[in-house]
Amino acid sequence: MQEILLAVISPVVFAGAVRIAAPLVIGSVGGCFTEKSGTFVLAYECFMLISAFFATWGSYVTGSAVLGALIAVMVSILVGILFGILVFRFQANGMIVSIALIYGAWAVTTLLLVSIFQVRGSFISPDIISFQTISIPFLNQVPVLNDVLNNKIGPVYLAFLLTGAAYVVMYKTPFGLRLRGVGMNATAAQTAGTNIRRYKWTALIIMCACCGLGGAIIPLSGVSMFTENMTSGRGFLCLAAVLVGGGNPIKTSIVAFLFAYTDALYLTLTSFGLPTQLLSCIPYVAVIFVLIVSKLRARRKAALGAGRLKWRKKVTA
Amino acid sequence: MRKKLEINEEAKSNLIRYAAALLAVLLIGAVLIAVQGENPGKAFSEIIKGAFGSKINIGNTLRHTMPCILTAIAAAVAFKSGVNNLGLEGQIYFGALTAAVLGYAFKLPPGVHVIVCLLASGVAGMLYALLPAMLKLVFQVDELISTLMFNFIAVLLTEYITMWWIMGGRGSDGSNAISTPPMAASARLPGLIQGSSASLGVVLAFLVAVLVYLFYRYTVKGYELKQVGENIRFARAYGIPVARTFLGIFLMSGFISGLCGGIEMSGSYGSFTAKFITNMGWDGILIAYIAKQNPIAIVVVSFLWGALRAGSLQMERMTSLNKLTVNIIQMLFVLFAAIDYKALLDHMRQKHIRSREAG
Repeated sequence: MQEILLAVISPVVFAGAVRIAAPLVIGSVGGCFTEKSGTFVLAYECFMLISAFFATWGSYVTGSAVLGALIAVMVSILVGILFGILVFRFQANGMIVSIALIYGAWAVTTLLLVSIFQVRGSFISPDIISFQTISIPFLNQVPVLNDVLNNKIGPVYLAFLLTGAAYVVMYKTPFGLRLRGVGMNATAAQTAGTNIRRYKWTALIIMCACCGLGGAIIPLSGVSMFTENMTSGRGFLCLAAVLVGGGNPIKTSIVAFLFAYTDALYLTLTSFGLPTQLLSCIPYVAVIFVLIVSKLRARRKAALGAGRLKWRKKVTA
Repeated sequence: MRKKLEINEEAKSNLIRYAAALLAVLLIGAVLIAVQGENPGKAFSEIIKGAFGSKINIGNTLRHTMPCILTAIAAAVAFKSGVNNLGLEGQIYFGALTAAVLGYAFKLPPGVHVIVCLLASGVAGMLYALLPAMLKLVFQVDELISTLMFNFIAVLLTEYITMWWIMGGRGSDGSNAISTPPMAASARLPGLIQGSSASLGVVLAFLVAVLVYLFYRYTVKGYELKQVGENIRFARAYGIPVARTFLGIFLMSGFISGLCGGIEMSGSYGSFTAKFITNMGWDGILIAYIAKQNPIAIVVVSFLWGALRAGSLQMERMTSLNKLTVNIIQMLFVLFAAIDYKALLDHMRQKHIRSREAG
């Protein structure tokens, strides 16, 4: 028991968490924008899965991870534009379009896997070039931090930068102010002269680009393969992080990191002979626990009359 | 008289929706098939042949219609009352596992055994739906996200139970090997059409659809449940206990999903295998939405879905196309059917009028 406890807080787990967190953090930071602009998107999984596939393909064809990720982001934005046209322009229900896209992403990627690479299930090739690891010189001297933070692939550091940047954009710029205004009260924002449609579209494109980048990291972080349904629910973890974080990029990233940490436990705890299926459950159980805790906190705050409370009340049409 | 007109108006807009979606899908589907180097006409005719070509093919269509009807009804029951139960898949898994276990572990007289299995599967689905429902009622945790998480947990947990409790830890991690012993013959549903995989299950599913239709159409309780979804403030003022209703709906939806899992087991699979289905729950949600939660329309759309599924298998055998092409066509159909054509037409008409006035 003590061994397990020690393993749970070991630097190895945190190092794993930092690595796993990159796609989750980047994806959910993007989601903050759509959340704040009041667009209901569920399709994180779709954007991430599609871009994971195209990142693999791009990296395989061009031999460069960065180009692969770029292609993935482009494709993700294209799918996002499809979502936007259907939901903003044609008034389709966001939840149904999201579910159809998630369903479609699985079919499209699996089909493309067969028709482009002629394989079923998974495509493994040394020609899929992953991101380079970056070593930061001054971290070499610091014992624990070196293990946890140093020698990771570039996007891991990008995740931290993006979180900060998103926070600044959201809370310190006129753009962020208007974006939040659109989400809070669209009519008021329009009366004040804000072009609602433009802000909603911008938020959606940012979200798709981020999810695309997040999805691209998954196959390009050293595994050199793409498997059917590779994202396996990471998109839903992003969604949960955004909902718990309420669209605040920093809070959301922390929650996303927490989920990544629980996911990283899997690798450590399997060595103790625990059943893999139960260990794979941990992140999803963690989501439910975090939701409960955040609700309890919100309720206490409300009882004290301190915070302004705003919780989504979305009911299907 | 006026009421009749209104219904006609709604039916008309629905008809426009379906026709437009079907037309668009046929066009895009044809392009999709042509891009893969096949003749679209041949592919479509193989799909139709595979779905209705012979008695056995019709049986296969019916077999694939069953889960669509039940999951869609389960989704519709929830959505009608504004409950976002996206956890159908998890409830199906637990229903299926329960039916499979009761099917092989007990010896009961033939008729009774099936009924026990199916009822227990429904109850298992219901109990699994109870978790997110209680989380919502006690902690106000949004069921939209919690049910999604419970889906993943259910898939893993049923695999765990099968592997460690039933198989005693034997069996590799490859999910094909993880399965329960076969169910007893007394626990299987009788077949419907000789030589095909259709079972009595599709009749049961149809009965459930009819029951749900009658319930919402003719009972006061059904009207109340609908009110909770359509106008919760009115429902409160009218004196409907909203919390209890919410729980009831969630459990009903879970029961139907669990039943679907049970029928899948005793009707077709015969033993529970880890990860035996993918996306069945999503199918139900999409169908429920396309059919606007109307049980009769659900049966029709489910039949279409089942035909496409059965036809896709034949298409894959006879052409070089992958059956996933049909999944993509289904997705496109949903996307096109989700468009609010009436609003679009109104918008365009207004624009036209405005531009004429300006000109």
